[in-house]
Amino acid sequence: MALLLFFIISSLMCISIVLLKSKTITKIITLGFALMHIGFTFYCWTNLNKTELSYFTYNSTGVLLLSVLSLLAIPTVYHGFIYAAGDNVKKYNIYHAALIALMTFMSGAYLANGMTVLWIFVEATTLAVAALIYHDRTEMALEATWKYVFICSIGIALAYLGILFLGFIYGREDAANLSFESLANIINQANPMYLKIAFIFVLVGFSTKMGLFPMHTVTIDAHSVAPPPISALISTTLMNVGFLAIFRVYTLFSLSSILPFMNHVLILSGVLSILIAAGYMLKAKHLKRMLAYSSLENMGLVAIAIGVGGVGYYAALLLLVLHSLTKSSLFYQMGQLSRVLHTFKLDECGRYMKLYPAGALVLIIGMICILAIPPSGLFITEFMIFKAAVYNNQWFVLVIVILLLCFIIYAMSTRIMHIVFSNPRNENYQKSPEKINPVETVSQFLFLGIVIVMCFYQPPILVDLINQSISIFLK
Amino acid sequence: MVNYLIVLFAITLMYFSSAERLIIYIRLIGIQGLLLCGIAIFELKEINSANLLFIASETLIFKTILIPYLLFRIVNHSGVSKVSRQAMPGFYLLILSIFALLISVILANSLVNPYINTIYMAIALFTLFTGMLLIVTHKLIISHLIGFLVIENSVFMFSLAVGNKMPMLINIGILLDIFVGVLILGFFGLRLKPHINELTTLKD
Repeated sequence: MALLLFFIISSLMCISIVLLKSKTITKIITLGFALMHIGFTFYCWTNLNKTELSYFTYNSTGVLLLSVLSLLAIPTVYHGFIYAAGDNVKKYNIYHAALIALMTFMSGAYLANGMTVLWIFVEATTLAVAALIYHDRTEMALEATWKYVFICSIGIALAYLGILFLGFIYGREDAANLSFESLANIINQANPMYLKIAFIFVLVGFSTKMGLFPMHTVTIDAHSVAPPPISALISTTLMNVGFLAIFRVYTLFSLSSILPFMNHVLILSGVLSILIAAGYMLKAKHLKRMLAYSSLENMGLVAIAIGVGGVGYYAALLLLVLHSLTKSSLFYQMGQLSRVLHTFKLDECGRYMKLYPAGALVLIIGMICILAIPPSGLFITEFMIFKAAVYNNQWFVLVIVILLLCFIIYAMSTRIMHIVFSNPRNENYQKSPEKINPVETVSQFLFLGIVIVMCFYQPPILVDLINQSISIFLK
Repeated sequence: MVNYLIVLFAITLMYFSSAERLIIYIRLIGIQGLLLCGIAIFELKEINSANLLFIASETLIFKTILIPYLLFRIVNHSGVSKVSRQAMPGFYLLILSIFALLISVILANSLVNPYINTIYMAIALFTLFTGMLLIVTHKLIISHLIGFLVIENSVFMFSLAVGNKMPMLINIGILLDIFVGVLILGFFGLRLKPHINELTTLKD
């Protein structure tokens, strides 16, 4: 019942924003939605493993990722208010209605307990994101939107093919709704070849959302154009949606004989993702694109973590949570950086510490966190992944990944340090820097603080939830 | 009867490889829609009549009439008549197409399944490969859109194969048409130019 109410109220909120045409009312409604989302997440926590409306279950993995979205809800809304303040009422309202729709669709995807419902919500996120990427109405925004919708459509079609292959395996009435529970009961009767094909289609299809190789290009272009608060969501919670879709299928198929095959595919995809990220970050000229490639690197690490198994499963989920907090902080900061420097081109960026010390501090701490340098919580996750790789004798993967991570650390740290401390190579005198209140960075410091604390202490409630999510692999 | 329609469908796919004009591409998309409508009517014998009527009319109205009509308008408006391949003469594309058909047949034979017959599987796979080839070997973004429509037809064909047991899958597959609508609106609403060769403003 609570879920139905959540969907109905969210829809009404979107409609009212579009119809009422008032910025103040839009602000109140959007803030109300963020608070409602937090309340709904609390409800899910208290009703863990409960099924509602037949197609949704508050299971541990879904609730974990839903909680991350809830954490990001208020800062995203807050930074959105600032970003869109200068827009006319129509643009302002479309932005916020699409934002509410996106968060609702993502929540639905997290809680879906069957392949088809999950697919529908993933499809719906594409439409909401398209409206948000096109927010600035520029030529570049048009190109990015077209690419995003086109590649996502192909990805979604391929993912649907994967679901159809599941249908061929289970073409019978007792699994007609393709729920994970009913599929798990008859997994052993499936032809392994069909399972392999279904997994490949699902992996390739949903990698448009997860931002993983081979469909990673779609999110990179979207990042460079999307408003920074939206980049924060695309790079974190939306990638988590893609991960969840792949992870659900992986968990289901892990009961069959194709587990080693899936692990090899994930490791290959992960290593290639990190390779591409390292290559492009070394020649990055655009700050937001560099951060987008950093997301590709982290998703690559998540894929490798799942592929190597063991403690890697725990590391993958913890990495997702911590990456979401760190990367969103960095993207929120991008909104402020663009108001100070008026550019994302690395050649034109510089002297940030002098112009906006609070923002510069966020960049430095964020860089340390995202590069998994101690005391970042991400250090623990990467350490666990390496440990799992050693335990599984994946020495070649380990060496390659560590080598590539060294390149990434070099590429990112030199560029961030240049922005913070050096003079810009090409001075941009066209606009003077805007004065920004350091209070705007509070949420960023808070998230980065959480990531650092996680290096030393992980709350039992989080550990329990992650362990429940991976309980099938711990047996 | 279904098998005849499927073979006709495969012939339209081969025609894609040799055609040079956009108008022929659009006609082929329309014909494919009509054939899919026929396949749906003959194949889906076990589902209820209301659902069958919905699926058939959706296929007829959307795939056979509406999409080709909108594509015609785009092509007429832009004045672009010929497809532009990316350093790939038609002959080589035809050879690639034949290889794709061969691979599809081999794959279909190795994936024998009680819920889908081999010819169905082979042609659906061939449709998928053809759509991908159209996207990869063509320059114009309108050709890419047509490539996506072919992939969508492939997905629809797969869904028809399991439609009797799982009609919900076909209804959900129809949601993909929403994306086609959005993509076409990309041309109309957002004034994207179909004769643009490459979209390269965003690059590293």
